[in-house]
Amino acid sequence: MPSVRTAADLADLRTETLAAQKSTPVWITVCTGTGCCAYGAEGLADGFESEIQKRGLRRKVGLRRTGCHGFCERGPLVVIEPKGICYLHAQTIDIPTIMDKTVLGDEVVTRLLYLDEETGKRVQTATEIPFYKHQKRILLENNVLIEATSILDYIGVGGYSALAKALSQMTPDAVIQEVKKANLRGRGGAGFSAGVKWETTRNASGAPKYAIVNGDEGDPGAYMDRSLLEGNPHSVLEGLIIGAYAMGATEGFIYVRQEYPLARKHAQMAIDRAREYGFLGANILGSGFDFDVTIHRGAGAFVSGESSALVNAIEGHVGEPRPKYTHLSEKGLWGKPTCLNNVETWANVPFIVNRGADWFRSMGTANSKGTKIFSLVGKVKNSGLVEVPMGITLRDIIFKIGGGLPAGKKFKGVQTGGPSGGVLPEALLDLPVDFDELDKVGSMMGSGGMIVMDEDTCMVDMARYYVNFLAHESCGKCVPCREGLRQMLTILDRIAGGQGKEGDIELLEELSEFMEMASLCALGKSAPNPVRSSIRYFRHEYEAHIREKRCPAGACTAMIQYEIDQTKCSHPPCGACARACAVEAIQKADGAAYMVFQEKCIKCGSCYTACPDKFHAVRKVPVVWEAVWQFPATPVKTEITV
Amino acid sequence: MIETITATAAEPFPLDVVVIDDEEMFGEGCRQTLEMGGYRSAVARDGLRGLDLVRAARPSVVLLDLKMPGMDGIEVLSRLSQAEPGIVPIVVTGHGTVDSAVESMKGGAFDFLTKPFEPEKLLESVRRGMSLSAVRKAKVTAKEKPADAAPATVQDKHNLLLRGLDVLGEAYSLGLDKRELIDELSYLEAEAKYHAESLGHIKKKERAILDIRHDLQQADAIMEKYDFRKGALIQVLLDVQEKLRWLPRHILHWIGARLNVSAREIYTIANFYEAFSLELRGKHCVQVCNGTACHVRGSSELLSRFSVMLGIEPGTTDSKQEFTLETVHCMGCCALAPVAQIDNQYYHDPSKKKLEKIIESFASEENIPCQA
Repeated sequence: MPSVRTAADLADLRTETLAAQKSTPVWITVCTGTGCCAYGAEGLADGFESEIQKRGLRRKVGLRRTGCHGFCERGPLVVIEPKGICYLHAQTIDIPTIMDKTVLGDEVVTRLLYLDEETGKRVQTATEIPFYKHQKRILLENNVLIEATSILDYIGVGGYSALAKALSQMTPDAVIQEVKKANLRGRGGAGFSAGVKWETTRNASGAPKYAIVNGDEGDPGAYMDRSLLEGNPHSVLEGLIIGAYAMGATEGFIYVRQEYPLARKHAQMAIDRAREYGFLGANILGSGFDFDVTIHRGAGAFVSGESSALVNAIEGHVGEPRPKYTHLSEKGLWGKPTCLNNVETWANVPFIVNRGADWFRSMGTANSKGTKIFSLVGKVKNSGLVEVPMGITLRDIIFKIGGGLPAGKKFKGVQTGGPSGGVLPEALLDLPVDFDELDKVGSMMGSGGMIVMDEDTCMVDMARYYVNFLAHESCGKCVPCREGLRQMLTILDRIAGGQGKEGDIELLEELSEFMEMASLCALGKSAPNPVRSSIRYFRHEYEAHIREKRCPAGACTAMIQYEIDQTKCSHPPCGACARACAVEAIQKADGAAYMVFQEKCIKCGSCYTACPDKFHAVRKVPVVWEAVWQFPATPVKTEITV
Repeated sequence: MIETITATAAEPFPLDVVVIDDEEMFGEGCRQTLEMGGYRSAVARDGLRGLDLVRAARPSVVLLDLKMPGMDGIEVLSRLSQAEPGIVPIVVTGHGTVDSAVESMKGGAFDFLTKPFEPEKLLESVRRGMSLSAVRKAKVTAKEKPADAAPATVQDKHNLLLRGLDVLGEAYSLGLDKRELIDELSYLEAEAKYHAESLGHIKKKERAILDIRHDLQQADAIMEKYDFRKGALIQVLLDVQEKLRWLPRHILHWIGARLNVSAREIYTIANFYEAFSLELRGKHCVQVCNGTACHVRGSSELLSRFSVMLGIEPGTTDSKQEFTLETVHCMGCCALAPVAQIDNQYYHDPSKKKLEKIIESFASEENIPCQA
């Protein structure tokens, strides 16, 4: 085991590694991120391995199982280096063809290349695919180049050189000044300056000091932290070590969600390797600086992602937030100075140290510098992880990178910032995306979830979804959040169930204001955002639900039912809907035509998706709300005779 | 051989009871008592003769002395149970020791009486022996399960007893006093049930104690990994949850005692975090993602499909403890929305047909632990 003792050792090791890699002329890179694995990427990688073995090509062809490439929608992804030919949706049966044509020969397998719908041409490399072309991939770039569990791969792309630079050439203060100058703001959502946080921790009295990676990515719809920890855990670890050096911390934690087993495994492997090579432990790189890291698994609670709650969780308590009279940087974990940053924030640090604050400041807007990873998901053609410079417009992200909405649907809104953020309408699509601009329009950056919604998404249902989520996740410590969310949920349930009343919207607004003022932590304070922003931009949808008992998007199940249009149904009927139905609610009524029996139907929509596009016979129909019989307004008078 | 039989020649075969005893006075006494009780009986003076008589007369019950010249009672007992499984032996002896009683019972004796005894006691014992014999004989003739094939479980034994009672009922209804029959039946049934239950309870308790001990040992091994640190409580609980699929009460109290954490705190934590379950989860965990991206792309529809296919509501486990169905907030595979996960395997919007196949494949596999 080559223990790296000095910066020069590291440089030597890198040269050696690169030379060893060069001796293998062709590399097959298979994405084994969670997304691609669901499409069978593990089997594909195994297939390549046995094929290489079978043909006796071990010296000539190398195989890398990498982390997430980002373009999850088209997985499994395979890239053949050095030419960078990128194949999408590759399957096990394609292996021999790919081996023959691309790996050994000089041809490409055209049908597996990306088809640019605008030009009608197939493109060969990833950089030409619009999804990648308009991104600025810095943090995610290495994901494609390295095997997540291999420290040598990471060193090969320049890994740990920033650490060596910081330890051998910079004082802790110089590191803090550089990060402050770069204006690196917290990627977890709040956007607080990382440099300032480090400085307060450094200046706080008390020892030991702790540095923590917050990987409790609880926002539903965001998964960039997962991809970084799974695909390139060393970059996060290197950032953490540099930060610990700068603020004088001697112990570190990586807090990973229980739901991310692979991220946990890879982070643990990274820690073990780093320790073996001398990047962790006592006297790191001969600088006299000691630091070690342990992994703490989160047990599944959204509120634990809040910094003070996370500290409580690491201490082994219930993950409830603490009142913020004192900052964690002064009195945090076990009462000692503690600094928490998000996974993505830490991953930025090595780049800032290596390339300088000026390089970092060259990207982004006046007050938000650098790049940000978004998980572009929902009703969008190219969903996946995208890394873009701050200040890019929402329109560019959704339409240029994301390729717009599938099946010719109309754009309705985009939700940013998760449950604490808001939904933005089409009119705001040209908004530059940075911390402050999103805040102004009633949403927030959050950890980077970006969920695109089309005309089939109901805004009342979305608000209800978030409120339901938050009501479930509220720790219950303070009344405004606990009771406010519960009441909000009751009102929204009522509206979505067709029982909405005049005045409900105003009541929701009033509750929102109160919760924002009176809640203890950020969860409660920002909880009304989804409701507020959807009322602000989509008030007419709420009104349609309340006044007309109609869901314009056809999403609220209480207000729709499925029917089969007999004029459109094929003759004889194909029966696809009946086969798809899980509860046998679709049956032949009079021997020939299929009908939906409403009393059995659970409104799962399976028939709707199963009906072939050429017929389009299954449709959503609004339920007619018949006037409910009520007691007469005036009591019936009865004569009383004695 | 007939001369050894003290019964009068006029008395016809078959007999109800054969008494085998070398003490003439005692044998005769028994015979008279039995006659008063309405049973036809005869006495043989030693083992060999007794066996011959049994073969010829095929009685229902044999009263057997243990200490006899020549072949002793235990020997007779073993030959008897081999040759005539329908006959119920009752051991009668003047030397009632625990050892001899145990030996007799092992040898297949139905009851063990110590001389001297009240005539009522003898009649009562014979009466029960008769009904048992009826059951046994009916079983042998009906060619049901062979009597020596030991039923596998307590439950089976219990069922067999109850089935035997049915047969007995039929046999008795041929000519016995109805009230007596009903008394007999209810008595037997209650006894059978009681035995089966208590046997079951004992077995269950034994198993439960072993299980608990095993659980606690596992918990200790886990806590040792974390040096019994109080701060590692959540990590310990996560590991236990992963191993046992839930957090049983005894484990929570044990861990609390070992890590010096109060029961209040440990229950608060177990309730607060999603990953912990205070109820046993199924072997396979079906998790349907309800993250925002999945919600927008129809996760609630996927959930209702799963719910119908598995026949359980979200948040519950089926009665066989095979599957637990639950929703999670986000799995972080938003690009594949809507997505479901079964034991760390991800599935992207499976159709009804595919679902059927998946569930079948999991149901046939055994013992794959469910990750919380």
